[in-house]
Amino acid sequence: MRTIDFHAHLTPQCFWHATEGSGDWHSLRRENDARGREILVVGDRRGQLPPKSSWTPEQRLSDMDSLGVDIHVVSPYSGFYNYELDTDLAVATSRESNDEISQMMKSWPDRFAGLATLPMQDVPAAIAELERVMVDLSFKGAVIDDKINDKLLDEPEFLPFWKAAEQLGAFILFHQGGDTIVDRRIQRYHLPNSVGNLADRTITFASLVMGGVMDACPDLRICLSHGGGFACYGAGRMDRGWERIPEADRLAALPPSQYLNRFYYDSIVYTEQSLRFLIDSVGVERVVFGTDWPYDMAQDWPVSWILSMDSLTQDEKDAILWQNLENLLGI
Amino acid sequence: MRHIDVHAHLAPQVLWQAFEQGQDWHGMSHETRGGAEFIIGHGKRILINSPKIRYTPEQRLADMDAEGTDVQVVSIHTPLFPYHWETARAVNASREVNDEIAGMAKQWPNRFAGMATLPVQDVDAAIAELERAVKVLGLKGAELDTVANDGLNWDEPRFLPLFKAAEELDALLFFHPQPQDNIVAVERTLRYGIPNSVGVVLEDALVVATLICGGILDQCPNLRVCIAHGGGGACFAMGRIDHGWQVRSEARVNILRPPSAYQKQIYYDFLTSSEAGLRFLIDTVGADHVVIGSDWPFVGWDPSPGGWLEGLQTLSQDEKEKIAWRNLESLLGI
Repeated sequence: MRTIDFHAHLTPQCFWHATEGSGDWHSLRRENDARGREILVVGDRRGQLPPKSSWTPEQRLSDMDSLGVDIHVVSPYSGFYNYELDTDLAVATSRESNDEISQMMKSWPDRFAGLATLPMQDVPAAIAELERVMVDLSFKGAVIDDKINDKLLDEPEFLPFWKAAEQLGAFILFHQGGDTIVDRRIQRYHLPNSVGNLADRTITFASLVMGGVMDACPDLRICLSHGGGFACYGAGRMDRGWERIPEADRLAALPPSQYLNRFYYDSIVYTEQSLRFLIDSVGVERVVFGTDWPYDMAQDWPVSWILSMDSLTQDEKDAILWQNLENLLGI
Repeated sequence: MRHIDVHAHLAPQVLWQAFEQGQDWHGMSHETRGGAEFIIGHGKRILINSPKIRYTPEQRLADMDAEGTDVQVVSIHTPLFPYHWETARAVNASREVNDEIAGMAKQWPNRFAGMATLPVQDVDAAIAELERAVKVLGLKGAELDTVANDGLNWDEPRFLPLFKAAEELDALLFFHPQPQDNIVAVERTLRYGIPNSVGVVLEDALVVATLICGGILDQCPNLRVCIAHGGGGACFAMGRIDHGWQVRSEARVNILRPPSAYQKQIYYDFLTSSEAGLRFLIDTVGADHVVIGSDWPFVGWDPSPGGWLEGLQTLSQDEKEKIAWRNLESLLGI
């Protein structure tokens, strides 16, 4: 058995080094809050950096060893999307972050694979960086937000990006950055994260499907993190909504539930019942192991959690923990 | 088997009668544009997308007979909630709607029960109207939006007296979001009907999480709450909400037990849009806490709400009986 983790964040060492003292890294800064915790500062946006996020690759590897995780498919922490910054800055932070991941892959080819971050506010620049990491650096794909500034990914301006990703065989992982839709309603009880992440992923599923992106790009490979949010649980209602769209106005050829098995989903859904429901809805070949390392929303012993489940067969556990990703990514 | 439906909408006759006389109703008026009909006013344009929403009680009864629904627990079509209206107008409109629903329940006591509409922008007035609705009019409780006036959430301390009053009155609170003008429409997209198909599910899940994490169910342990559309994705997401409660102190300020420990205090209608989704809900909260909710007249059922339920393969006869009528019979005394 192997274990390959598709949802593992990186706060790059180049950021930590450049922000030692009071320095900045392409305008990004770091400060401490009242409790002494490290805070990433991008413009007027702030994001909490958990203790493990400053760890070196060597420290990360020992943690992976203790968790029983063989491979991290590393993606830059979503606080580094920088879509609201000038393109030049986002290009620079993307390239440096991606180059650092490339170095990790070179130093430990059996332990790390890479997903890039891209300057999505400029589609040609994003495509150029995606081409660079896929062709020159052997990345597996990229991580992007559910929204690019205020735009969803079904906007026509992003279609060239989707075509490029399809052509390059790039795997696109969706993960929220900054505020979720729930932030504007209620900021209490961690609901912007616990419910908001799921909400944003569901909107991404619905808009990509009903916006016709999945029809326009039949070979596109997309992974929705956090189990795709409510996509599998809410698809029945989406079907009814789709049926109400006049046929001439429909951009998706089929009802949304028929696209559930066109996406991939990570396994971080916290209960065995929910994981079972996800598998039964989308097919076990569409579910991949993901842990959310090194955040507090990660489960403590993610491999043991999967292995301990009575309602999954050993074949299903193997498919999720490694076989699906081995086949899909060639690792 | 009886069929009692907790989720049945009403646009009151008093509104249509005003329109027929060329008048508005508390600032709402009728408009026909491009072959479509709308109710407009108070900053809203409500598409009339089912002709049945105009039905008289007699026409409604005929439709219920055709569907095999014995009892509808009637509540207002949520775009007509008056939370953002001027208070005096909201109070008067609520009273008119509640009087009309009470009249239906009085005239056809075996066919209709009613949920009140409340002017929640004035909590004292809302409590007074809830008391009148339950004690004087014999209504079973009230329908509430998933968010109150001015974007306020229900965990705001100002609303606690309303929940205490509902608990005291044994009133059922049925939470139902705006079908169009909700969080997804306001914050993200209007395309492809996503505000309805996705936004409704998110609103329902959010109100479950807010009522639980806000400590409402802790402070009002006997409060009766029912959430529309099967509670959205709340049951599916509860593991993640629990994890947030474990790792974040701000999620624990109001409750001592994990959020999932409270989800069986809530009732949910069966409108999950799939048998697998309903089975998951039942397995999570228990068949004792799931009831028929048809979303009349906006959802077409094959062959009918109760007929759909009875035809499901993965539910036992006992589960079907509880969902179809037993739970609501004992909860509401109907």
